Amino acid sequence: MSSIFSTENIALALQILMIIVALFIVFYERNFTIIIFISVFSLIAATLYTMNQAPDVAIAEVAIGAAIIPLIYVISISRQREFIVLDKSRHGFVDPDETLEGVVYDVLNEFVTTYDLKLNVCCDIEGKEEDLTNQLNVDLIISYDAEHDHYTLKGKSSSVLMVNLRKLTKDHKQISVVTFKDGDPID
Amino acid sequence: MVIPLIKRLVLLIMLGGLLYGFILAMNDLELVYNDFGKEYFLLNGLRETGSLNLVTGIYLDYRLFDSLFEAGILLIAVSGVMWISQHKIQEKNASFMLDKQKTPELFIIFSRLLYPIMLVFGFYVIINGHLSPGGGFQGGAIVATAILILYYIDITKTIDVKLILTIEKILFMALVLIGALSFVTTGHPFTNFIRQPEYQAIYLMTLNVLIGVKVALGLTAIFTAFLKEGR
Repeated sequence: MSSIFSTENIALALQILMIIVALFIVFYERNFTIIIFISVFSLIAATLYTMNQAPDVAIAEVAIGAAIIPLIYVISISRQREFIVLDKSRHGFVDPDETLEGVVYDVLNEFVTTYDLKLNVCCDIEGKEEDLTNQLNVDLIISYDAEHDHYTLKGKSSSVLMVNLRKLTKDHKQISVVTFKDGDPID
Repeated sequence: MVIPLIKRLVLLIMLGGLLYGFILAMNDLELVYNDFGKEYFLLNGLRETGSLNLVTGIYLDYRLFDSLFEAGILLIAVSGVMWISQHKIQEKNASFMLDKQKTPELFIIFSRLLYPIMLVFGFYVIINGHLSPGGGFQGGAIVATAILILYYIDITKTIDVKLILTIEKILFMALVLIGALSFVTTGHPFTNFIRQPEYQAIYLMTLNVLIGVKVALGLTAIFTAFLKEGR
């Protein structure tokens, strides 16, 4: 029974593969690829559990490690990649395919492409500005002063993106950036 | 210059202490790794617990007290996630672009095909927990995955998280009460309350179903909280 495909050799190969996949998870740079690798890691672990006569643990590993945790990661990462803007000067429904024009949107489109984010514009949400940024993760609030033809952008002071946005809008006279403090509710 | 050196030295000493403790523990492995427990469970497990799957026999009969705290940990984790991600602003006002984006058609059709199969398989794993590998936790996780697939079919679907949490609390109370029922019949709390070996499977199935539904609801609640947090 000294064939290459004996159970011990397969287990050894799987263990080596598992270490390689784990190193990939640590050193790879693209987030969505890493999620697939996490899933692969769990599947290999589940196979090894089955080979060691632990099918109960294997089922739990497949269900939790290969299905639910990647799903949660996908949701969290895809939400972090978008830049949510609340435009108070606009009214009504924003069509996803509509190209947005104006001085502000030229700046914002440039900003979003430099940082590899996705612009997500919405309007018609009522509430205090602090509540909106704290609870709904709105990154930026645009308000328009028609008399002076002036745009004000408001955001959290703790966000690094706001500092970069201020640098970008330094030359524009029509746009000013205002930040307000946000307290961390849990100390 | 000096303080980082001291920090590193302290870290090194702590690691050395850990290694020494590890080596000490390795000498006593003969005492720890023996077959007494395994042989006892193989001989008496089926007769005493009525469960073919000895793992289920252990976590629902011999060690039910531990399992109750395990179920409690999940409940506490879900409550913590709910508390951190509570919202004051009404969800109806917040409709973002991502909610209006369409999932690919192929993905929706495959989700619709997979959804009933996953649900049935999950319940099979729960109910057959005392006969085949699996049990409440594993089956509950599969059922939760099936429910999560619904979000890909229709992302505007809303689930009342508070109601889910209330149901989970009631289920946990039921779990503790059924576990404690054996104090009346056998005199020992947290074991099987049915004495006849033919009917002991009823108790195991009831507890597995309770744990399964509780785990499924808890994981769904965590996932829903994550979905809402990004809005």
